[in-house]
Amino acid sequence: MRQHDIVIVGAGLAGLRAAFEGITAGLDTAVLTKVHPLRSHSCAAQGGVNAAINPNDNWEDHAYDTVKGADWLGDEDAIEIMCEEAPQAVLDLDTMGAPFSREDDGTLAQRPFGGQSYARTAYAADRTGHAMLHTLWEQAIKLGTHIYQEWQMLHILKDPNTGRCAGVVAYDIATGKVETILAKTVLIATGGYGRIYASNTNAMINTGDGVALALKAGAHAADLEFVQFHPTGLRNSGILISEGVRGEGAYLIGADGKRFMQKYAPNKLELASRDVVSRAETMEIMNGNGKNGAIFLDVRHLGRDIILERLPQIRQLSIDFEGVDPINEPIPVRPTCHYTMGGIRTNKLGETYVPGLFAAGEAACVSVHGANRLGANSLLETIVYGKVTGKEMVRQIQEGTTREFPTYNREDVLIVERKIAELKARSSEDGYRQADLREDLTQAMQEHVGVFREEKSLKKGLKKILDIKEKYKKLYIDDKSENFNTDLLTALELGNLIALAEGTVRSALAREESRGAHSREEFTTRDDKKWMKHSIVKWNHATDEAEVDYEPVRQLGKERYKPVERTY
Amino acid sequence: MAEEKKTTTAKKAVPKKTAAKKTTAKKAPAKKVAAKTTETKTVKKKAAAKTVTFRVKRGERWQEYDVAYDASTTVLSGLEQIKGDQDGSLTFRRSCRASICGSCGMKINDRSRLACKTKIKDMIEGMDHRNYQGRDVISIAPQGNQPVIKDLVVDITQLFNKVEAEEPYIKEGPERVEAKDKTAYEQVNAVSNCIMCGLCYSDCTELEVNDNFHGPAALAKAFRFVADPREGQKTDRLKKLSEKGGIWDCVRCGMCVDACPKGVAPMEAIGKLRHRAIEAGITNNRGAKHAIVFKDDIRNGGLLNEPMMLIKTTGLFGAIEQIPNALHLAKKGKVPSFFPEKIEGLDEVKRMFKVLEETELDVETKVLDEGPGAG
Repeated sequence: MRQHDIVIVGAGLAGLRAAFEGITAGLDTAVLTKVHPLRSHSCAAQGGVNAAINPNDNWEDHAYDTVKGADWLGDEDAIEIMCEEAPQAVLDLDTMGAPFSREDDGTLAQRPFGGQSYARTAYAADRTGHAMLHTLWEQAIKLGTHIYQEWQMLHILKDPNTGRCAGVVAYDIATGKVETILAKTVLIATGGYGRIYASNTNAMINTGDGVALALKAGAHAADLEFVQFHPTGLRNSGILISEGVRGEGAYLIGADGKRFMQKYAPNKLELASRDVVSRAETMEIMNGNGKNGAIFLDVRHLGRDIILERLPQIRQLSIDFEGVDPINEPIPVRPTCHYTMGGIRTNKLGETYVPGLFAAGEAACVSVHGANRLGANSLLETIVYGKVTGKEMVRQIQEGTTREFPTYNREDVLIVERKIAELKARSSEDGYRQADLREDLTQAMQEHVGVFREEKSLKKGLKKILDIKEKYKKLYIDDKSENFNTDLLTALELGNLIALAEGTVRSALAREESRGAHSREEFTTRDDKKWMKHSIVKWNHATDEAEVDYEPVRQLGKERYKPVERTY
Repeated sequence: MAEEKKTTTAKKAVPKKTAAKKTTAKKAPAKKVAAKTTETKTVKKKAAAKTVTFRVKRGERWQEYDVAYDASTTVLSGLEQIKGDQDGSLTFRRSCRASICGSCGMKINDRSRLACKTKIKDMIEGMDHRNYQGRDVISIAPQGNQPVIKDLVVDITQLFNKVEAEEPYIKEGPERVEAKDKTAYEQVNAVSNCIMCGLCYSDCTELEVNDNFHGPAALAKAFRFVADPREGQKTDRLKKLSEKGGIWDCVRCGMCVDACPKGVAPMEAIGKLRHRAIEAGITNNRGAKHAIVFKDDIRNGGLLNEPMMLIKTTGLFGAIEQIPNALHLAKKGKVPSFFPEKIEGLDEVKRMFKVLEETELDVETKVLDEGPGAG
């Protein structure tokens, strides 16, 4: 029997940071990932990581910026932890050897970012996530971390007597074997589910497996309707162009060649928060100031030298994927699904509603981002909450009630095995190809649950998703083999995407206000009296449906955090 | 916004068999909301899509698939088309589609490339164009120098074992210094662009004949730590790197520089490690000796004294081992002289050495002009 004190699912920044805590505390810690750790999507984060490191800055301002950025839906206790711990968390990475960019005197460089009142974003050129991920991976090697590489989690096990999380059922991709891994505590750090949209900046692996499986295991998901549309995805591919580019001084211009942000955010202009900028762009395009569905990001005035030194990857991405060299031409960009603020609901220490089950990073809804995440707060969340949650898991094992391995129900493993066998056995006769269902699902989300939302369209979207959910039961795959069956894996991932799309559209339909990234055309203002609460999604196994409920925001009652109108 | 209507044919593969039924949702025209939010799928040019044949190596056989493409279609999206519409059993790794995760390295028209970064159009219009029985063809095979698991998926264990053997993390020790300015990190920055995609490993000509060679990726990673001011064990690392299989086994063919999608230039990093190793006095090995003797011969006479160089590099016993080779060469009349004449214009050679010695060769801070990915 495979068993570890701590099993961490996902080897991105949050997962590896938590693993560091487990191993340095002397606990048997294993990381399970469906890809090699360095392939995790954390590597794609570009712009940076926020921390009030400069002596002239302070973490309380960072916390206030975050509360405001979150449109007062963030949990203030968690936001304070994140911002107060931020400087140390970034310096930890520096000590480990992360190649952060430097000022002339060798100290950490920091750049301005959207929604921040101070230039507090540390960075490694325009590939900060890549630099941080490689550094934490180096630490994992140094510490001899046990890594189940190219293993996919298929089920979260629970102790039938106590309801505690007992480990996971996982699939060894190379061999096709279904294995049970028992654990005293499990951390879900599997990232977001931006792949529910057709146009997105996410990697193809971002299918929300951990969120969906935790939901099915009885944990709650929160705020699924809050999906961040990044203002600058490349027009054709949706590939991300970092907010750091605007931090360096880039302009947004319309087809008429003129800047337009002064109409929407007269003070912060291009560096207003992402929901504001994405809505502004959408309005401009609707009003005919776009070209082929895009507006433009212009860096020409920065000059060749700055572009080459600080934005080399951006330049290359523009050349490779859009055929545009930003030194000479503006880059065509548009709002593109980027980040899911929602996720598995946790308290300020990363605990979910299932004892022994934890969540961190984009997979979690702690919630430090509320209704809208500020740029460079996501890398920060991964390293602070990877650390905080890792420490809490260690504490519970060392001091708490979780010294013994829980028991589990062998039938749960058989159910997973039967599900795989059944999927393989299904014939193409009268069945559906997964590519078609995936296309239908992601197009439905794109069309009905985008930047602006309205009731009729949302209802249509829900109907389409429920229809796809039915068809999914007749999905067939071509590959019936045992080893490295990616056809099977992506089919299972699609099931997770469908569940999360359903939760997202149901939550969006229910929330009758506009807050942060959620903009309803019939309810154009924020309604704090009725809606200053988290949407909670629970899975009803009897009806096999997502159900929406609510939970209050965790407030600290500080004068400074009192909700006011949010302008930039 | 008529151009935003989906023209699915531009994206979809040409199916060999009738695709499964489509839902009516697909045919719906761009609706009010969709038009407003401008988030319909990839905006396609109206130009009719062309077709190319992918010849994909699957075990011992090559399988052909037709793929529709336009100016922006990548080889990866071509493979996705095949997997989605024609043959779900075609197996390959992929994730970010933005050349940052390193998953989709494969041999495309015989050279190792990232499928997500390689445009079909460039393969057809460029120097690598392949024509097979009158059709435009792109050949796709798994990476080299590694065992194949299935179709385009190779076993990356060996590559990563070698990277991990370099102890790729900052170590405590006496050689740690606090950086006083940002240029101290420029070397680290240049090589830490590496995404461990394995393309350099796949195309490495030394690895084809020498399994023990650490390989370009591992050595570039090793350089990243030797160059880092925070590293405490620089000399110790250089000693280990000078052993068999290390920096002196590279034959400087340049394939890794060519293959790298992020401009890391592993061969350059290996060159810098060699330079640093000699400077640190780690010269008691064949590679370093060869380099030193080579330099001295040229400086002294302008030509190599090959027999003496062999003895100086490998020692007397090493040279004796080479006697069969020498006899073989002798049979063909190719016996290098023990006493090569000095070349004409030796003064000029000496002047060149003088200039090089006076102007310190900047092998330490050279950073690529065009930034990462330019290669």
